[in-house]
Amino acid sequence: MSIWSWLKLTAALWLLRKMIKGIGWLLVAAVAVTAWPLTIVAGIGYLAAWLRGWPPVRLWRAAAWSLPMTAVYEIGEGLRLRAWPAVALAPVTDYGHAWQLLAAHSMLRAGLLVAPVAVPAGLGIGGLLWAWRIYAITTGLAGLTASAPIEFDTRQWRRQVRTARGRAAAPGTVPLLTRTGHVVIGATIRAVRHPWRPILTVPYRSFGRHAVIIGSSGSGKTNLMMRLWAGWYAAAHAAYLRREGNRPLLVVLDCKGGPDARVKAERTRRLLHGVGARRVAIWPDDARLNLWDLPPRDLGVLLLQMIETGDGAAAYYTDVMQAVVNLAMAAPGGPPPNAASFLDRLDVEWLETAYGDGLHGAAISRIRAAKSHIGDIQLRYATLLGRLGPALDGPGTLAGADAWYCILEGTREASVAEAQAMALTELVAHAATTAGGERRAILLAADDYSAVSRRVPISNLYERGRSLGLGVQVSAQSWQGLGRDEDERYRIAATADGGIWLMSTPYPEPVVQLAGTRRVLESAHKLIGATWGKEGTTRTQHAWTADPDLIRTLDVGQACYIRRGGATFVQVARPKPSPLSLPAARSPSVIVPPPAPPPDDEPPPPGPGSGPGSLDDVLGPEASA
Amino acid sequence: MNPFTVLGLPTDPDLTDEQVRAAWRTIAAATHPDRPDGGDVARYTAAATAYAQLRTAWGRSEAYADLATDQPHVPAPAASQPVPPGASIVRAVMLVPARIRHGRPWHLLLRALAAAVLSLVVVRLLPGQPSGPAMVTGLVIWFVLTGRGDLAPPPGR
Repeated sequence: MSIWSWLKLTAALWLLRKMIKGIGWLLVAAVAVTAWPLTIVAGIGYLAAWLRGWPPVRLWRAAAWSLPMTAVYEIGEGLRLRAWPAVALAPVTDYGHAWQLLAAHSMLRAGLLVAPVAVPAGLGIGGLLWAWRIYAITTGLAGLTASAPIEFDTRQWRRQVRTARGRAAAPGTVPLLTRTGHVVIGATIRAVRHPWRPILTVPYRSFGRHAVIIGSSGSGKTNLMMRLWAGWYAAAHAAYLRREGNRPLLVVLDCKGGPDARVKAERTRRLLHGVGARRVAIWPDDARLNLWDLPPRDLGVLLLQMIETGDGAAAYYTDVMQAVVNLAMAAPGGPPPNAASFLDRLDVEWLETAYGDGLHGAAISRIRAAKSHIGDIQLRYATLLGRLGPALDGPGTLAGADAWYCILEGTREASVAEAQAMALTELVAHAATTAGGERRAILLAADDYSAVSRRVPISNLYERGRSLGLGVQVSAQSWQGLGRDEDERYRIAATADGGIWLMSTPYPEPVVQLAGTRRVLESAHKLIGATWGKEGTTRTQHAWTADPDLIRTLDVGQACYIRRGGATFVQVARPKPSPLSLPAARSPSVIVPPPAPPPDDEPPPPGPGSGPGSLDDVLGPEASA
Repeated sequence: MNPFTVLGLPTDPDLTDEQVRAAWRTIAAATHPDRPDGGDVARYTAAATAYAQLRTAWGRSEAYADLATDQPHVPAPAASQPVPPGASIVRAVMLVPARIRHGRPWHLLLRALAAAVLSLVVVRLLPGQPSGPAMVTGLVIWFVLTGRGDLAPPPGR
């Protein structure tokens, strides 16, 4: 074959290919024009999905919700025509009429005439086209440039976020609780290997398992946690009212403390009042708990854990201390009712008197053996209990309130906060296991857990909680803050079958590993010079289910919920109880401060007597000034 | 006795310390026995007791809880107090005005206007055609599905 013949053949083949392609496009255009009602609806649906970052399923659901319209149309045709074949052909007949109306330049009437059938069908087709477009772009089969998949993903994420923010701002879209008792978190931005729903909800029952929340300071973690607490409380309270569950008890350990904690506590209190909680106690500011209610054996173990002890040679002193504490706890006459009584018992004379009835020879021998250490032990416990203050020595019990917000000064006094955290978690475990008492549905939330994570064995509580119906939530500002060492961190995160919430954090890799990977298609194209050729390969690759780079760049209030190998990105809605939950007496929503007393009401100088305090006492010196 | 009412405050556990103190000071100034007119000892004593109870957030929480316990809203078990069929629907309908008021009424109004105007256009353009009622049905479904977002959540949610 000569070069000229080869060139002619190549040109002919090129022309043939272009002609086939052109005819194909012409056919598509002809079909699109012929089926113009479907084309218009599918185009609108496709455009809306593209602009708002909807997944295809959103269009298919819209199509399904349009079907009642089609049903009404068919019923109307049935009543009008009263012949089944004619009813079945009614859409075709109306389609013919629509062409006539088009010819008569009555386009709106033509469109409305065929809309009852065209809307669901067009939305379904639009969804299919949009699904194909996503597939083609993400696998590299379509797009004008090599970076098209990345640009497409970035653009769609931006649109998904915008749409989710709008949805999260609508009060009725994001209540604290759905009608079916699921806890609403916020508007879904994107779902990966989770079914897509416009609103992310978490089943109330999953709160009985353990959850982990990780997010840097300022990432919106407090809002998320408050939403989880209020939602859980509302769901548990509703279940209790339906006699389908136990009365809820929420215990929050704010392990960082400080003035911010007080503000958070007050906000949490208001929120919980709005969802049905009656007594919300803030510890230690306005309520106390009684550590000495614990069973003597548990209390003895706890008291020993609360004191920092050493290993090696120091273990000897630990053993001595344990023996003395056990003697003090198990003394005849019952365990100590308060800290002062316990300290009184850490005395050789007291112990010898208590056990000196001639029946406790072994105990007397132990007291004599530990005689030289008992004074030191008393000193250590006097120091510890003095630092803990009276907040664990009060008359209160966990059962006395619906929710406890416990503020531990973990930043200011880490060792005290650690001891308090140990005591409080033990009280919670005791409340969950107390036989005979009222069974409660308990959620224990440890906020900013890193402040007390050095010595508090909360991973043990996790494992105990599973059998006690006790839900545990742990939050930390980073992966490193979750536990003492890598083993403990993995133990906490890997048992979080209630889900892991990741907010913006610089090191999400260990957690996203727990979510695993998903298989994706990746196409490589052959480059001819600087242009994309038509040849290439496609292969299966593994990509993170929860993309760590995306998590690093999450904005305030955005979270990634990882559970069962899937991830849902969500715009967390600000927690607000229904305004209708509030008592009727609240109706004047803005409380006007009472007016100042008029001048003629100036109080007289204080008079003598033991009756009510003088006006100065009541109103201050300025009242009589 | 309701300590909130005694101090002339709404029964609300979320009052601030300042609000309670201001109410107490007003009543104390008006009723104190040291006043030239002798004051109102009974009212002063009641207010003093109420203030002692409500002066802290925890005290208010306790007082509110006690009031709520006196008037329990916990329903009796289903077996002893059967709920008549449709009662929940009636209750839900009764709540709609309040939910609109506390939600986004202007958004809802705009949606309603859009649905109404489009329905009128459809009915006017397609008189006697089954497509007309079908389109109105579609618009009603759209309004109900999207308008829910503009309502305040129902109580307890």
